[in-house]
Amino acid sequence: MSQLEELKAAIRGHLDSLDCVIGWEQGYDPLHATPLFIRNESDLERLSISPLAVHNPATYATGFAGKKIGMVVRGCHSRSIIELLNEKLIERENVVLFGLCCDGVVSQRKIRTALPADPGFVEAVEIGDDALHITLAGEKTTIKLQDVLADKCRICAYPDPLLADVLIGNKHDSRPEETLACQEAFEAKPNAEKFTFWQDTMSRCIRCYACRNVCPMCVCQDYCIAASRDPLWMSQENSPAENFMFQMIHVSHLTGRCTECGECERACPVDIPLMLLRRYMNKQVQEVFGHQAGTSLDKTPPLLTFQVEEARIKERDW
Amino acid sequence: MERFITEANLQQFAATLAGKKHVLAPVASGGTTCFRRLVPGMRLDFSRMAVISPKDATFPRNETLLLVQRYVEESGKKLELKEQLPEGECIVIGSRPCGARGKLIFDPVYETEAIKDPYYLRRRDNTLFITLSCDRPESTCFCHSVGSNPADGTGSDVLLTAVEGGFFARAITPKGEELLADALFEEAGTRAEEAAAKQTKARELMGQAHDFSSAAAKLLERFDDMGFWQAQSNKCISCGACTYMCPTCYCFNITDDEAGLVSRRLRSWDNCMSHTFTLEGSGHNPRGTKAHRLKNRVGHKFSYYPDLHASQIACCGCGRCIKQCPAGVDIRQVVMAAQEYVDER
Amino acid sequence: MSANPYLPDMATVVEVIEETPNIKSFRLVLNDDDKMKTFTFQPGQVGQLSVFGAGESTFVINSSPTRMDYLQFSVMRVGEVTTRLHQLKPGDQIGVRAPLGKPFPVENMKGKNVLFIGGGIGMAPLRTLFTYMLDNRSDFKDITLLYGARTPVDLTYQEELPEWLGREDINTVLCVDNEYPGWEHKVGLIPNILLEMNPSPENTVAITCGPPIMIKFTLQALKKLGFEDEQIITTLEKRMKCGVGICGRCNIGTKYVCQDGPVFTYAQLKQLPSEL
Repeated sequence: MSQLEELKAAIRGHLDSLDCVIGWEQGYDPLHATPLFIRNESDLERLSISPLAVHNPATYATGFAGKKIGMVVRGCHSRSIIELLNEKLIERENVVLFGLCCDGVVSQRKIRTALPADPGFVEAVEIGDDALHITLAGEKTTIKLQDVLADKCRICAYPDPLLADVLIGNKHDSRPEETLACQEAFEAKPNAEKFTFWQDTMSRCIRCYACRNVCPMCVCQDYCIAASRDPLWMSQENSPAENFMFQMIHVSHLTGRCTECGECERACPVDIPLMLLRRYMNKQVQEVFGHQAGTSLDKTPPLLTFQVEEARIKERDW
Repeated sequence: MERFITEANLQQFAATLAGKKHVLAPVASGGTTCFRRLVPGMRLDFSRMAVISPKDATFPRNETLLLVQRYVEESGKKLELKEQLPEGECIVIGSRPCGARGKLIFDPVYETEAIKDPYYLRRRDNTLFITLSCDRPESTCFCHSVGSNPADGTGSDVLLTAVEGGFFARAITPKGEELLADALFEEAGTRAEEAAAKQTKARELMGQAHDFSSAAAKLLERFDDMGFWQAQSNKCISCGACTYMCPTCYCFNITDDEAGLVSRRLRSWDNCMSHTFTLEGSGHNPRGTKAHRLKNRVGHKFSYYPDLHASQIACCGCGRCIKQCPAGVDIRQVVMAAQEYVDER
Repeated sequence: MSANPYLPDMATVVEVIEETPNIKSFRLVLNDDDKMKTFTFQPGQVGQLSVFGAGESTFVINSSPTRMDYLQFSVMRVGEVTTRLHQLKPGDQIGVRAPLGKPFPVENMKGKNVLFIGGGIGMAPLRTLFTYMLDNRSDFKDITLLYGARTPVDLTYQEELPEWLGREDINTVLCVDNEYPGWEHKVGLIPNILLEMNPSPENTVAITCGPPIMIKFTLQALKKLGFEDEQIITTLEKRMKCGVGICGRCNIGTKYVCQDGPVFTYAQLKQLPSEL
């Protein structure tokens, strides 16, 4: 039985007891997937788990408060779920997790830039073991999966779900790449260059808050400081400074909570590389608190708790 | 007037114009193509439709409506208001027909017998559009279903069509003719036929148009069916990507910023998918859930606006909201679901 | 209004009345004498008040066009702009964009009995029409006012209540939710008092405004009393920004409350999609 069939069978067994199961199906063309909310057999037929199926189902978890739902989760998605559980934003008995051992997903931005122009009508997409075969205007283009793998997947240390009720696929034993070249290169830049980079990049930001709303850990949403007048932290002016200010608030609120699912960066319609900020912050949290969000149950994020003396902050020596 | 221009000369033409005027053009940077103010060293990117529409030219993401200066004098506190009307001309080069035509949706709202929005009107009247017709429509394109086509010159001053070696250029307005008088444009020769063939082929690629004419009534029929809207909005994350990308979305916010003795009244793009859009002082919100908000967004474009303005759908079919939606919400499917809805009771 | 619909006229606060613990009335005079002299509006129209630096909010002009010494607005303190408004003192400067929206259909009410039913701050839009009718008393037949609030101190326009109660050519009934020492008027919820009063729908127009829950039950009571939908008029509240039908947030389907309202008959409301 294929992994997809195995998964469908597992979901079928739970459908009656759940409000819905969140997975993926083909989106507006064969190159794009979209979240699928499975409620019956015909929905289930449309389920797809290809590397194009990227959306983090945990984004929707808090929206189903009080209802019992299922979610198909990859490794990074399971971390978001664990973090939501740790912060008591969802209840364990209200979620059934169908875990997928994940070989990585694609980055649509990388696919886009791999093609010389807007693709036009996408007629078909075949997914081979290591390549995407895309048919455009009768002609087949082949792109190696490795070349369009999302950055988060290149360095993913948790390809297998850390929490699952059903586990589909084979567990991984290989180690991922240790570091991401683009991250290293960016961090090594002098501050003046980083400043210029953000000035330019943040001028593209339209403050649509896709990065915020897609984030499974951003749970203030309707009451976000970005639109609040009391307290008034931000102007509605669209300028690099204000836009960057919002991103600073966003990343600060995620300190020790970000599970590096990469949804913020994926959702950004103007391709702002927000993960540069997230990864940097997560590295600090790892160094200072030895904490990695969503990697084990019953751990409170370091800034949501208080210890008289932190193990790694030697205040007495200051 | 019909002319021809090579791609190199078009780049040159744009660069020269940018030296004299505010030119907005699609420029690739950071893996994305956006309309940017053209400055020396930038090249126009014709290979992709800009992610954000050219709406910024006539309806900038924010603009100052008023400045208020406070004075404290012995006789008491005084305030002076300064109206901040926009100055200067703008030229948009490389918009697609959908983006240029989309801005026309503003007109019946921003210019009525009783109310004239001077900020919008000034910008609209001082902006020219040199538009590029599309030769490779995409899976998300549906301009042909909302009364347009990939070579529609409506709303543009000049329409370019890519031909061998460059672009065939047709003036649509007298101002467009003035632009084509530039020495960088050459005789069109027989390229009009080549362009026409390309335009026909592009239209053929789009296939059969969908008929949205029953949508206005059908969407209203579903108004109270919250189950329908909850199902349609399941995957929506209630962000503003769709509205801010949209050439026709014209809703805005007005907020004041204050610094010392000066305050500024700012108009900025606003988003009907946001919770705060309709949140009242009392805490009551008539559109409290994303289902209510999606209903209004789709309803506005395909039902309320057409009902008020001569059946014109407030959507230009550019597909940006579909292509850029982080969750893949497809407005075509939402409208079709309402059109095709069969009451099973 | 100026040619730029976003440009407020400057005005001076001439008087501030503390109506209740959280409601103040502001009396304003436009700084431009000519504009003040030629300013016209009809009962039910609204205005946008600006506190520069905080923003603008919409309030009904609750003075009557028959008394043009000043324009009065009553403001309940709920958010940023209203809090800043509450800090204003006589002499302070304020921006005004008015009149906006559609008024009460006064002409249609001439020669009819008029029944006002106001709850809390909902009395503000009724006050303008009520005062207008007192000043044109002979144009209307019986005028009845039922005005209630949660407690006696929550009743606005206390200065005017003795006059309203004392006039023989109108019937004024006040009520509060519960008994209070010294309270000599009715006790009970507005819809119940209304049923008790049992007004005849014959040749009568009912005008009601108040909190949503009060309106809901008042409409039910009016229907029980035999009022037709066309005989019932209310005025709506929505979040507004531009006030001139552009910015896109106060619509209910195709109707923009700032332009097509805020005054609607119950019959008109029933035609609209249900999104109050």
